[in-house]
Amino acid sequence: MSNQALNSTSQVAAGSQSRILGWNKTSRDTIQAYLFLVPFLIIYVVFVIYPVIQAAYMSLFKWDLLAPHLNKFIGLDNYVTMLGGSGLTWNISHLFIWRLLGLASVALVIWAATRGSMKKFSAIWLSVALVAIFGVLLGLNAQAEGGRLNDATFWTSFGNTLKFVILSTPAIVGLGLLLAILLNEASRIASFFRTLYFAPYVFSVAVVTLIWGFLLNPQRGILAAFLSIFGIEPISWLTDPQLAMPAIVLTTLWWTMGFNMVLFLAGLQDIDPTLYEAATIDGAGTWSKFRHITIPSLQRTMLLVIILQIIASFQIFGQVYIMTRGGPGGTTRVLIQYIYESGFRDFQLGYASAMSLFLFIVMFIVSFIQFKVTPQED
Amino acid sequence: MAVATSSAKTTKRTKRLIFLGVMSIAAFLWIAPMIWMYSLSLSSNEVLKTVTTSLIPIDFTIENYFDVFQVGLTPRWFMNSVIVTLVTTVLTLILSAMAGYAFARIPFTGKNLVFAFVLAGLMVPKEAMFIPLFLMFAEVDMHNTYTALILPRAAAPLGVFIMTQFFKAIPHEIEEAAQIDGASRWTIFWRIMLPMSGPALTALAIFTFILTWNDYLWPLVSATQKEMFTITTGLASLQGNFAQATELGSLMARGVVASLPLLVLFFIFQRYLMRGISVSSGGK
Repeated sequence: MSNQALNSTSQVAAGSQSRILGWNKTSRDTIQAYLFLVPFLIIYVVFVIYPVIQAAYMSLFKWDLLAPHLNKFIGLDNYVTMLGGSGLTWNISHLFIWRLLGLASVALVIWAATRGSMKKFSAIWLSVALVAIFGVLLGLNAQAEGGRLNDATFWTSFGNTLKFVILSTPAIVGLGLLLAILLNEASRIASFFRTLYFAPYVFSVAVVTLIWGFLLNPQRGILAAFLSIFGIEPISWLTDPQLAMPAIVLTTLWWTMGFNMVLFLAGLQDIDPTLYEAATIDGAGTWSKFRHITIPSLQRTMLLVIILQIIASFQIFGQVYIMTRGGPGGTTRVLIQYIYESGFRDFQLGYASAMSLFLFIVMFIVSFIQFKVTPQED
Repeated sequence: MAVATSSAKTTKRTKRLIFLGVMSIAAFLWIAPMIWMYSLSLSSNEVLKTVTTSLIPIDFTIENYFDVFQVGLTPRWFMNSVIVTLVTTVLTLILSAMAGYAFARIPFTGKNLVFAFVLAGLMVPKEAMFIPLFLMFAEVDMHNTYTALILPRAAAPLGVFIMTQFFKAIPHEIEEAAQIDGASRWTIFWRIMLPMSGPALTALAIFTFILTWNDYLWPLVSATQKEMFTITTGLASLQGNFAQATELGSLMARGVVASLPLLVLFFIFQRYLMRGISVSSGGK
């Protein structure tokens, strides 16, 4: 009896010993791993993650930079000020074209789902959300008599940001794709051209605006001189409410197109060259090779580039702030600029935080859609 | 038959020549704004009062460049940018490499969770969160310091991601051999893994360098004293009314000075930079 007990105890002991040894190995690894991770994690949590939480917290306060003793908890009031209005009505024709484009994106989601690159569940979920935003929410407006938005500047700034995103993304992505396809060859001359097209990307925003602010100047800029060759009168790009935003888009196109071109070039290099060889043997022409090999193989890269560009475009600030200060008449004021002004001109840090969080959520949704729509590898 | 082939060859060559011709014109137009800046910076301010549309310097002078280093704070801003950019880049490399090594090579509890937590940072728009950051540094009274300009930019989730991918691809045999010889993890990382990651580190370094040098919003918010401007915010502060600018040549020379380090780096390391961009996009 006692012998048996002893036996089983020693068995348990042996078992737990080996478990302890195993645990020791894992725990030593774990400790070492965290020692490697800690320097990064500290900086990351303090300067990347914590600000988001802090912004969410501050957005619930009336938080005055100059009079901190007056700070007080106001719940969701900042959000009501930002998004709400009084006497709002809904009608189908409000922002009709834009909502139609939005609903077209729903079709895109459904198409992606039927192509099998998305789970049925998330496709439905996403479609419902998009229909809710574009079909219903954006129909709301303050145009009816007595209707008033609490903060019209927020909506114009957000609208201008969207306008920039919608104008710049196709231009930058399209030209990047075109040049990548034209210059995707191993020759020295192609490499030389690639270098030239990419070069502006390394400039800082201040250098870009220095060049373009003066280049677009109707009296002294080189663009006016160039256009006068074709008999076109000088155009006041940056002071014309209709043309200021397109001019900013043009500036940004010149600045960042090269980045997208390089992403597309990387995508093109990944295409198996034997596909083209096989197609050539089958007698396929340049166009049909482009249509049936290049375009399908680039799908993943294409989505990636578009989403990266949208995310970058949403954060536009420098070009606008330096070149037009948001003018003329607020037609180029973008969301980040309005956040900056609310914080450091009006000293309303709580309200500015609420808008930061709004932008964060919009961009999060875009990233989320990307994640869901992009075909996953493996 | 022979004639047909040679005429086919000729059409092909003609097509090629047309392609190169059109491409050359387009590329020239693309970089014309850049050439223009260089041309203006090398023209005398006197001439620029009347003629500002030449791509070739008129009344060639390097006076404007002396001006950059004698008048105003441009040299100071330049040094600020050099210090901030170099320290940020080195810090980013070390932090990213260490974290990447842990994720790629050490099995540990909670790895997937921590990795997901780091990748989540890719979705935080760094331009949008400057209000809480401003307050954080204001509370400890640290605005207008290098620390405030450097620290918020030193934690790059993308850098960790790139380094993790890179370390994962290194064969395990090398590390195991060193482990048998009794080398510690730290030694392996420092003596074996880091020296092997030259290409990835170079790509990440040049990418970080460009982003930091060109950073605009955070320096604008944090460094409000003129002496603490970076070259990017400083140059932006000089841009007023172009129609009336009299010192145009020296302004453009400042633009050239602000962009020169990047252009030089770009031409030396462009292969790495372009590969870095492709790698960074790979998994996002």
